[in-house]
Amino acid sequence: MAKILIPTPLRQFTGGADTVDAAGASVAEVLGALTAAYPELRPNLYNEEGKLRSFVNIYVNDEDIRYLSKDSTAVAEADTISIIPSIAGGRA
Amino acid sequence: MIEISVEAAAIMQQHGESCFPRECCGILLGTEEAGKRLATIAIACRNAYEGDQSDRFAIDPQDQLAAQKQARSLGLDVIGFFHSHPDEGAYFSQTDLKNHWPGYSNVVMSVRAGRFTEAKCFRVADFAQTASEEEELLWPKF
Repeated sequence: MAKILIPTPLRQFTGGADTVDAAGASVAEVLGALTAAYPELRPNLYNEEGKLRSFVNIYVNDEDIRYLSKDSTAVAEADTISIIPSIAGGRA
Repeated sequence: MIEISVEAAAIMQQHGESCFPRECCGILLGTEEAGKRLATIAIACRNAYEGDQSDRFAIDPQDQLAAQKQARSLGLDVIGFFHSHPDEGAYFSQTDLKNHWPGYSNVVMSVRAGRFTEAKCFRVADFAQTASEEEELLWPKF
């Protein structure tokens, strides 16, 4: 199973776990298994249309899936998936 | 409540002043115990915003990935972020609110005429990003 690293603010939805193992052959399948196990995560990762929210970045190992095959990106057993928040802002 | 270590505050302040008149940004690593956070490491990041950086910033997700790895290797967590407002106060703007996540401590530094003047900390109240609240900040005295 792939390993998913959970960022600090989302651990309240995984029972405090900072790492969760989930099965799947693609990013969509692995995240689907993750959110099936922890349903409260789903609205924080996906919008109403079922698409990943724009402020959520997903990495497979060191690669941003936006530059791979998005959520169709293949995932192997030994892969690590990271959930990275988009952080930006400014005084304006 | 969040306390910033002397070492982390020095890096944040220096980064804010050296980036002036552009906004600086960075990542805070540390611990949380009984509701109190301690930021022990501040990572100064490149402002990745593609445009006028005098009033906007963005943190490269790649820098966050590296910070998450560093935090885990040290037994720490990514507990927050920081950025500066050049020639403006240390407040949490609507742009800040719409582009931050709840659960993190977000330190905003006011840098006026190239000099750090003050810092405040804010948290986003909900995942809908509709409100923020000020968090007590313990900033060291140099």
